[in-house]
Amino acid sequence: MDQEAEFRRLYEGHRTAVHAYFVGRTADRWKAADLMQEVFMRVWQRLPELTGKSADGQRAWIFTVARNLSIDTYRHDRSRADAEVARGHEPSPAPPSAASAVIAAERVAIVGRAIRRLPEQQRTTLAMAAAGGLNSTEIAAALGVPAGTVRYRLSLARRAIATALADYDQPPALREPR
Amino acid sequence: MSIDDALAAWAATIHLPAETAADIYQRIVATPANPRSPGLNPAWWRHFAADFADRMITSTQLTPWAAGRCAPTGSA
Repeated sequence: MDQEAEFRRLYEGHRTAVHAYFVGRTADRWKAADLMQEVFMRVWQRLPELTGKSADGQRAWIFTVARNLSIDTYRHDRSRADAEVARGHEPSPAPPSAASAVIAAERVAIVGRAIRRLPEQQRTTLAMAAAGGLNSTEIAAALGVPAGTVRYRLSLARRAIATALADYDQPPALREPR
Repeated sequence: MSIDDALAAWAATIHLPAETAADIYQRIVATPANPRSPGLNPAWWRHFAADFADRMITSTQLTPWAAGRCAPTGSA
């Protein structure tokens, strides 16, 4: 397999999960895209190191780069990302055209807000599962934590989202004042 | 809408558009795969630490002349 074909295989196989990881870290999908590009730039430049590894080894290598990169850059950008999230810059779904679509879009917006309020570790884990398509074993290997920890974080995150949705589904008179 | 459906719908809002992913791919493969400058030898720290330790041990060893002068006398 030539170098570019091997790189394309890695890029297509891991880009969604890497992007989801950075969405979890930054709560900003465009910032996440920049960081994802940086990770795959390093993959491209150091491809010979990866070609001999197993699929799990390649994932671990890629996410080690991603974690190191996020440590390097995330601290500097955290306050700015938080400010953008606070201003509501997170992209929202297309405008709905019917009542059911309005409700669905509102529920998605509630999920998005609930996810942004999660502690970072839970948010990252959930993003990798829901948007990255990884199972708990794969997330554990990528993050370097036990699979039980991943399942616990997912459970807490899902509970928080379920609570937010249940709160939304209640009739307005029954909702707790905020 | 179940929680899984809601999460899937949320995930769809944060996915990168295919065109953006393709642009990023093209930008990456347009750069040289192997930079010409090899950079610092990854083993530099090991070599440096070994050399440093060697020099430190050597520098703290007493010369035979000084060893004779500094020998304990056995009385306070």
